[in-house]
Amino acid sequence: MTDIKTNSASSRTKQKKQGYWAGVARDGNKMGFWFVLPTVLLLLFIVVFPLLMQLYLSVTWWTPLEGIAWYRAWEVFNWGENYWFQLTDSRVWRALWRTVLIMIIAVPLQFFLGMSLAYLFIDQFPGRKVFYSIMLTPMMVVPAVVGLMFFLLFQGTGPVNAHLGLPSTFSWLTDVNRAMISVIIADVWQWTPLMFLILLAGMLGVPSDQLLAARLLGGSNWQNFFKIILPRMKAVIIIALVLRAVECFKIFDLIFIMTKGGPGVQTETISLFLYKQTFGEFEWAYVAAIGLTILFVLSVIAAKGLAYMAKKSG
Amino acid sequence: MSSIQISNVTKRFGDFTAVDDLSLEIEEGEFVALLGPSGCGKTTTMNMIAGLEEATEGSILFDGQDLSRTRIQDRNIGFVFQNYAIFTHLSVYKNLSYGLEVKKFAKDDIKRRVHAMADRMSISHRLEQPAASLSVNEMQKLAIGRSAIMEPRIFLLDEPLSNLDAGFRAYMRAELKVLQHEFGQTMIYVTHDQIEAMSLADKIAIIDQGKLMQYGSPLDIYNSPNNRFVANFVGSPRMNLIDGELREEENQLKLMVQGGAEIILQGQVKSDFTSDGKVHSGSFGIRPQDIYFGERRASNDIAMKGTVEILERVGPKRLAYLQVLETKFLAFDDQDQLKLGDEVPFFLPPGKSMAFDMISGHRLGSV
Repeated sequence: MTDIKTNSASSRTKQKKQGYWAGVARDGNKMGFWFVLPTVLLLLFIVVFPLLMQLYLSVTWWTPLEGIAWYRAWEVFNWGENYWFQLTDSRVWRALWRTVLIMIIAVPLQFFLGMSLAYLFIDQFPGRKVFYSIMLTPMMVVPAVVGLMFFLLFQGTGPVNAHLGLPSTFSWLTDVNRAMISVIIADVWQWTPLMFLILLAGMLGVPSDQLLAARLLGGSNWQNFFKIILPRMKAVIIIALVLRAVECFKIFDLIFIMTKGGPGVQTETISLFLYKQTFGEFEWAYVAAIGLTILFVLSVIAAKGLAYMAKKSG
Repeated sequence: MSSIQISNVTKRFGDFTAVDDLSLEIEEGEFVALLGPSGCGKTTTMNMIAGLEEATEGSILFDGQDLSRTRIQDRNIGFVFQNYAIFTHLSVYKNLSYGLEVKKFAKDDIKRRVHAMADRMSISHRLEQPAASLSVNEMQKLAIGRSAIMEPRIFLLDEPLSNLDAGFRAYMRAELKVLQHEFGQTMIYVTHDQIEAMSLADKIAIIDQGKLMQYGSPLDIYNSPNNRFVANFVGSPRMNLIDGELREEENQLKLMVQGGAEIILQGQVKSDFTSDGKVHSGSFGIRPQDIYFGERRASNDIAMKGTVEILERVGPKRLAYLQVLETKFLAFDDQDQLKLGDEVPFFLPPGKSMAFDMISGHRLGSV
């Protein structure tokens, strides 16, 4: 394979530099091996090794509290008990559901807001550049800081209540339903700009003369948006949605600062649940099992999704 | 179908005046070409007619009706873009049906009209294919068909042939003429190619630096240009335009050209130059095909003598560059009688010569 490639690439210069290039091409395989070896070893160490270690621990009762070195975890081998247990563990299912709930509310909201803003920004208007920069700032703020900001905003005596004229006993972050709403608002505030940025780039890629042609043919702005702009942005939209959905699934810092998953476990997402299991309960083997399961399920979904997209776009 | 009255339209972009006090009257069903060099304001004029740009001053009326407050999508104006602006994500069928669909025509009606238009444009076999797969030539047809299917009140074409290969351009030129007859549409056609304008248009509006230079039938413009710009711009090869000072010597009126050449003015062109009595520097114009060699044909034909510098074959004729001191005349040698380096006499018929004022560029005398 490598041989054929190297040969065809140098075929044009072959007559001239035959002797020299021929030698390199023949040695290509060996040389290439040595060139990529360090990278391969590094990758093996930081990806494959932890994964195997995780797999190994996930089928044991091992916990750091008992003073057994991790490589001796086989002594408490449990035949995959963890994997069975997680399926019946309602804490896992609830945390998963809450994560998905945030995702299916926050991501579409970010999408609609981002799309609307992008549509505003394809026109030139005075101060466009300034507003553009302001629009993007939330995205640049460290998520933990965003968490702190909204933590302060949603205090009983905070600006939100003051502004809405609500009493200081009206709580957001400690209320069973409103905590979730607060978290979603914070996430939407932070990540709408990214959606906006990606969608604007996609929208600017729609040829303006085609839009003009569509208008001259009698299409209203609304019709042209759905018939010309949206279909042409399909790829960009899919990328933006997938990107945000995956990111949203991993949401952690924002919630950790705002509610610590509370009140109770009302805003505990899968990441927070795993965190608590890791550093609260020290059930590392169990966490390893859940983590691997999620990785497996998401990989299958992603692969299926990509295959479907590839098939659809021919 | 509409007539269009453009009155005193001016368009400014900041300090730059793109179109300057332009007035045009376009009759219903007429085919008008806006002709001018790049950046002369012809596209801006067309955009204003389409409503894509708003005129700074003046008005544009369609059958006496002002559409400047009508939204673009409700104006029903057909527009063919230079690069066609085909919806490449849709099929050919969907491109053709776009206008009808957004205007909520009945399904059967749309189908019938699309098939009729596809037949007319001979792209029926491509209907179900993606528009992106079409050749440039087919895209051109699709672009015209997509607009024509809406039966627009007027049809605007922005340099529609400039992206085509030479052979198809000639074919499409003829095709456009046929289409215009079939549709009976008022068509406005922007081009910088005078051959396209000459062969297609009923009337040509020549525009330079935002100003209307001349508006008339192709033959009118060719035979009696209003000013020096039009004379210089229209015709291939270009008209000989000899600039010089007018001087009266020994009862003769001469045009003294820098470098020493002089033309002794006679007959019609002489009276043209003196017609307003104030002109001191002028431009003498004559088309290459009006210059002749050999025997003098009329007593007042202006006689010159020049050296044959270059001979260029143009079909059956040859184009001769005649050097008179530092001045160059272009003429046709239609009988292959000239030889390089020969000093030959040649004649300029005064009746076919034109006089222009050097300063204002205006044509002098009877036009």
